Amino acid sequence: MDPEQVDEFVMGYLKKKGFNSDGTSFSSIDYHNDPDLTKLIRSFSQSENDPSRYREGYSKLRSWGDNSLDLYKHELLRVIYPVFIHCYINLVGKGHTQEARAFFNSFRKDHEMVHLRDLQKLEGVLAPSHLQEMEFARSLRQSKFNIKICQCSYDLLLQYLHRTESTLMLGIINERINFQVYSGQPNSASDDIESVTISGSFHETADHVNQKEIHWGLLEDSLEDRLQKTGGLLSDSEKGQGESKADSKKRSSEIGKQGSSVKKLKKDKAGNATAKVARQETSMALSTTPRVKPELAMPVMSTDVEESILEDLRNRVQLSSLAMPSVSFYTFVNTHNGLNSSSISHDGSLVAGGFSDSSIKVWDMAKIGHAGSCALQDENGRRNYTLLLGHSGPVYSATFSPPGDYVLSSSADTTIRLWSTKLNANLVCYKGHNHTVWDAQFSPSGHYFASCSHDRTARIWSMDRMHPLRMMAGHLSDVDCVQWHPNCNYIATGSSDKTVRLWDVQTGECVRIFVGHRSMVLSLAMSPDGRYMASGDEDGTIMMWDLSTARCITPLIGHNSCVWTLSYSGEGSLLASGSADCTVKLWDVSSSTKLTKAEEKNGNSNRLRPLRTFPTKSTPVHALRFSRRNLLFAAGAISKPAS
Amino acid sequence: MSIVPKETIEVTAQSIGITNLSPEAALMLAPDVEYRVREIMQEAIKSMRHSKRTTLTASDVDGALNLRSLEPTYGFASGGPFRFRKAVGHQDLFYTDDREVDFKDVIGAPLPKAPLDTELVCHWLAIEGVQPAIPENAPLEVIRAPADNKIYEQKDGPLIDVRPPVKHVLSRELQLYFQKIAEITMSKSSPALFKEALVSLASDSGLHPLVPYFTNFIADEVSRGLNDFQILFNLMHVVRSLLQNPHIHIEPYLHQLMPSVVTCLVSRKLGNRFADNHWELRDFTAKLVSLICKRFGNTYHTLQSRLSKTLGNALLDPKKALTQHYGAIQGLTALGHNVVRLLILSNLEPYLSLLEPELDCEKQKNQMKSYEAWRVYGALLRAAGLCIHDRLKVFPNLPSPSPSLLHKGKGKIISAETRKRKLSADSSQNQLPHKRLMTTTDGLRPQDHTGPAPMHVDKPMGKKGNESESRHQNEKERGKGRVITMKAILGQIWKDDLDSGRLLVKLHQLYDDRILPFIPSTEMSVFL
Repeated sequence: MDPEQVDEFVMGYLKKKGFNSDGTSFSSIDYHNDPDLTKLIRSFSQSENDPSRYREGYSKLRSWGDNSLDLYKHELLRVIYPVFIHCYINLVGKGHTQEARAFFNSFRKDHEMVHLRDLQKLEGVLAPSHLQEMEFARSLRQSKFNIKICQCSYDLLLQYLHRTESTLMLGIINERINFQVYSGQPNSASDDIESVTISGSFHETADHVNQKEIHWGLLEDSLEDRLQKTGGLLSDSEKGQGESKADSKKRSSEIGKQGSSVKKLKKDKAGNATAKVARQETSMALSTTPRVKPELAMPVMSTDVEESILEDLRNRVQLSSLAMPSVSFYTFVNTHNGLNSSSISHDGSLVAGGFSDSSIKVWDMAKIGHAGSCALQDENGRRNYTLLLGHSGPVYSATFSPPGDYVLSSSADTTIRLWSTKLNANLVCYKGHNHTVWDAQFSPSGHYFASCSHDRTARIWSMDRMHPLRMMAGHLSDVDCVQWHPNCNYIATGSSDKTVRLWDVQTGECVRIFVGHRSMVLSLAMSPDGRYMASGDEDGTIMMWDLSTARCITPLIGHNSCVWTLSYSGEGSLLASGSADCTVKLWDVSSSTKLTKAEEKNGNSNRLRPLRTFPTKSTPVHALRFSRRNLLFAAGAISKPAS
Repeated sequence: MSIVPKETIEVTAQSIGITNLSPEAALMLAPDVEYRVREIMQEAIKSMRHSKRTTLTASDVDGALNLRSLEPTYGFASGGPFRFRKAVGHQDLFYTDDREVDFKDVIGAPLPKAPLDTELVCHWLAIEGVQPAIPENAPLEVIRAPADNKIYEQKDGPLIDVRPPVKHVLSRELQLYFQKIAEITMSKSSPALFKEALVSLASDSGLHPLVPYFTNFIADEVSRGLNDFQILFNLMHVVRSLLQNPHIHIEPYLHQLMPSVVTCLVSRKLGNRFADNHWELRDFTAKLVSLICKRFGNTYHTLQSRLSKTLGNALLDPKKALTQHYGAIQGLTALGHNVVRLLILSNLEPYLSLLEPELDCEKQKNQMKSYEAWRVYGALLRAAGLCIHDRLKVFPNLPSPSPSLLHKGKGKIISAETRKRKLSADSSQNQLPHKRLMTTTDGLRPQDHTGPAPMHVDKPMGKKGNESESRHQNEKERGKGRVITMKAILGQIWKDDLDSGRLLVKLHQLYDDRILPFIPSTEMSVFL
């Protein structure tokens, strides 16, 4: 570039910025003789004009990162991805579509391993208008990447950028990346899950949200509580006081009737009982979890139901890594690819399937089990299931209320319907969502339910109101699954934006954001003590989260396809997962939480391997449910093996 | 720049009636089309995930279009995934395979079957953490030893490499199954049930853990039950079923099985009653031996040589009983013609001279002994015949002996058979229905040419042991008729196939003299 061109450029630049004078006043500045200044101007002019500057700058930065010391390499390479994304977005934004595509294709391989799904989304962006339209691109432009990096790496990076005078890269890095510099040695590569995150666009960074206080403890006066009391009473009677079982039952039912007025009295009793009898290890564990008060008005449970639940809890099999559960598998046959969802009632006797032809079918296994299903149908020429018709679109979920007397279904027709299994009829049709409702779940105590939809909201409903009570908005994409916290004060939602959020039911606020999944979150489960949550994604990864810290305790690696369903055993020692790879896997989560606590000091979290894998005969596992007695029920539709 | 070429845009524009689309407009549209298509696919994938599927279907795309409030594409609502075909001459062009259907055919076609209604079936995927081996579960590849926590505990002590014995865990179901099968095998009361059990053994998957138990059981019971013919026979049936089961990998257990099998072949005494047809058992076992050799001969090299050595020793030991010789001959025959040539034919001359006195009715007063001798003779004949048959097939152009000689030899072979019939007539009678015999002779023609004649004729002989007196005469008459027709057929075949080996000549010489006087005049006339 000769001096005349430099002159021309400077004048052009000044004009563009609004300096309309003839430029003589600037000629006094002798920038021709200052080599540094000339160079700077030159680089500015180039960056303005030449899209190939991006490619050059990026590839230089990349090769520098690749050749750096192993110690800092993984930290420095973290910087590469945001730079890559924003180079591409800038190129597209300036209308260099062709160059953008070429740039993208030549470097996408570097990031496919970790960011494949983001890349797939961005690949289609080819015009500036798309950037405005696409949610993901917009959020990228409006927010910054947070990168944790050690002091030394940070200095190295700055030195490099200054030395090479790649102002373009420096600009992107300054504009788009928010460095969190820490002193000391660089971290090991294994915990890089949280090191690169995109913070939300509304000034509420995930960190900020996760500072909020939550009470993950169990409800006061829960059935578990009562079980301990009655259990204590029972063992008293066993000791020879001659107190009958019926007596203790009566007492527990009295407690149920009287409700909250006798709470204090009971607390004393509970204290006595637990002090006296350490019945079971796990119930001890549950009893040590803190108690919280319900934020919602809890429905009153009928005494019969309560009795049966207590009975189940008393007869619960204790599971551990040594005592494995039995698994009963319900296989749907002849579904003709139409089964969208299935679920199993809490006692395992009812099985519901939601079909793409808008029908819901409910099987009562207690009836079928005795008669032999095939024979029954042939003789009468009748169906051996209950057909529920009412929806006008594919049914994406059908779940049972805890006592099994209602079915809640959600569909692509944007409605949620409530059905009675006693009357076999539709009771209510809840309208409110604007788009397909992907999932709907009853709260653990019944009456309330939560739904989530393509319209990016989750809503809380009660059975007796036509309209939602709360609306949770914040996810950046579809909300795909929803799950209640055992104490009914929170719900968790999993979304296509690859995050899981925890919401306060009373206030409707988001209280936790869990970042770490690399693809759409498909399934959620809460541990019975309310402390942990497991979430499964499209790639087959399951993550265990600590609710209070919003940190991933351990990723559970083993599945190689979508994790459709997760379920915790009754006392929370085992986690069962069902996947599209036709297996049910059992994970020993009690040991994993202990292990990581011990190893937290060492700094390396070991990845947990499945305790046991049960392959099915080419049947993807759609639903799993631990009954109250810890029998594991699984359901899935058999698919013909690919020929 | 976009993966959608502008030609595609132009073609699409034309198809919807826009003819004056400028190339620039097409170029501008292409990236947007790509973006929209990607957007729809992204939604379709969501729809697919929520339908709990891993293959995208047309209904998912319709669902995605619905979510965008667009009209779905009609006419693609098929159940299964689409089959795309590659367009000839274009690299990346695909089209759906959409056949033209004649309207008449559609109307005329019978109504399709109503699709089966959805049903729910229930089974145990696992019982207390262990998967039962039932047909509903996926087959288990490996039997795993239970994870033993003691291993880890021991490591705290002094570092000694202690390997705990691998526990073989047998589920309750398998234990019951084994007990039941053993019970049925040992009881002689219900042959129908036993048949069912054999079918189950031959076809069920998941029996592999039981194989060592079965081999043990068979070995025990064979050594214990040598006097009980029925049990031995049942056990051999069990062996055969185990060999037939495609899910069982029996090779590692062969060395345990073979002694029992060979025992049933060459033992001096099998069963203690006169009525026990131990010949049949020996024949059956011989077939079993050949089955084993065929299947495992390649992988288990010493198998055949060891077997032939054992059997050859049994045959060439003159102190052994004739029944043992018979079993050895049958076993060797089953091993193939090479073994026969090597071990039997080379020793045929001395052996026959040894056998001769036994064969003579006049000299050998003990009828039982004489019958046994004739059985051995028949077996030898069959072995020789099979061997010749194979050789003839291998060397079709050997120098041919005179036709007269051939005719003679032919006559002898057949007549030997007839003679045996006469000999055994006193004690036995043919039980097989006539029809079956005819079919066997008919069956001769396509597959067998010369040699197998004695073999097939021999077969009904094997069944003679339990004949009843009353129908004896009748059967004999029929038998004669059969022999005549068969001879006619065989004569035909022999004329067709005049070539034969020198071996045949030798055999003819060996067998010749003994047989001639017994040929009935009618049969002679056919040949002459």
